[in-house]
Amino acid sequence: MTAPVLSAKGITKSFGGRAVLKGIDLDAHRGDVVSILGGSGSGKSTFLRCLNLLEMPDAGTIEITGTRAPLVHDRQGKARIDNPKALGALRAKTAMVFQNFNLWSHMTVLDNIVAAPVHVHGTPRAQAVERAHALLEKVGMTGFAAHWPMQLSGGQQQRVAIARALATDPDLMLFDEPTSALDPERVREVLDLMRALAGEGRTMLIVTHEMAFAREVSSHVVHVRDGVIESMGPPAVMFGADASPVFRGFLSPH
Amino acid sequence: MDFFATTALGLIAAIPVTLLLFVASAIGSSLIAGGLVAAQQSRITRPIAQAWIFVFRGTPLLLQIFMVYYGLAALGPIRHGWLWPAFREPLFCAWLAMTCCCSAYIAEVLRGALTAIPKGQIEAALACGMGRWTRLRRVIMPQMLRLALPSYGNELVMMIKSTSLASSITVLDVTGVASQVIAHSYRTLEVFCLAAAVYLCMTAALTALLRRIERSLAPAGSRRA
Repeated sequence: MTAPVLSAKGITKSFGGRAVLKGIDLDAHRGDVVSILGGSGSGKSTFLRCLNLLEMPDAGTIEITGTRAPLVHDRQGKARIDNPKALGALRAKTAMVFQNFNLWSHMTVLDNIVAAPVHVHGTPRAQAVERAHALLEKVGMTGFAAHWPMQLSGGQQQRVAIARALATDPDLMLFDEPTSALDPERVREVLDLMRALAGEGRTMLIVTHEMAFAREVSSHVVHVRDGVIESMGPPAVMFGADASPVFRGFLSPH
Repeated sequence: MDFFATTALGLIAAIPVTLLLFVASAIGSSLIAGGLVAAQQSRITRPIAQAWIFVFRGTPLLLQIFMVYYGLAALGPIRHGWLWPAFREPLFCAWLAMTCCCSAYIAEVLRGALTAIPKGQIEAALACGMGRWTRLRRVIMPQMLRLALPSYGNELVMMIKSTSLASSITVLDVTGVASQVIAHSYRTLEVFCLAAAVYLCMTAALTALLRRIERSLAPAGSRRA
């Protein structure tokens, strides 16, 4: 078996004494599409944000295609990373798509897409621009290169954000509720795009409330509850007759 | 030539002094303000920055100008030191006091802009692996500049007007020349009205310039017709 793209072990995190993550282990291999489901406050988003260290876990190890950024603890026991190079390298292997898109509002669509390749990975600008145009075509946004994020609809912004995430050809893509801030009629265009990415063999971790999408597109479904993985498995099992009663209760709480 | 024409010409001739003081103070105070905001980010240097802001924002500019020009001159090391040629010049003293005072205000403007940057903008920069400097240069600074500009412009307009305090330590700026003319003509109202008109022209030009910059920095989508 090949080495996993992502290997997270024993991730814990508490906010102000309240334990949000109580030790989560998760591996993802190349081409895996892992949907992370769970109620609000279950810790699923916090877990995703721990993986690229936007949220600093209290303990645990994260390895992404062989790169690690070990946590160190100060005298109060507060965790941090004192190797900014390793931290940057780890994050540069990932890309995140946010609930609120977070396109840089002072940059055009094109500049948003080329920023990371040019300023983080050192790709020549001409090459990054060429790739950006190809990505815009892929996400159905040809002709919008010179637009500003504020001129776009939510769905369009999220598709640009996905193009931005693809620009560095990341080993791991993290989606943090990518459709939760969209109008219902815009959700589909983003989900269709994500389905296409899954079909290309992208390694994706998706925190979502879109059950039908998770069931249809994922290779694995993970149910997070009270800061631990309550159950996980392929969708056929998770949504099948032998599913965990707790997960079934989450799906239909009646 | 009649009185108004001569006075107006005299006041206009003093504009370069006022503008020099303004531009030099604007540059000096903006640089220090940037340093103050940077200093506020570290726990070790934060008290120094906060003390600076507390003192210079909390005392009158006129008093600060007096203290630099009259006060420091009374100190031996200044009086007999190598800096004396500078501290002897009222224009330099006015510049120094204005730079220190305005830096405190501008630092607060910049700090406000920094905290107003939406968190998601910075998270997006973190998530793609941008290092400290890249983040600062590509995301934080441009966003901060845009957010700070309206209040920063306000500070600059205040600064143009504050330069008039330099006349109290014999600087012959627009207000200084106006006072001189009044001293031997006693036509207080007319002369001050003329001086006020000169300041109005300067602030109007500055405001117009700021508005243009503001428009060019605002992203197209947010621009209102």
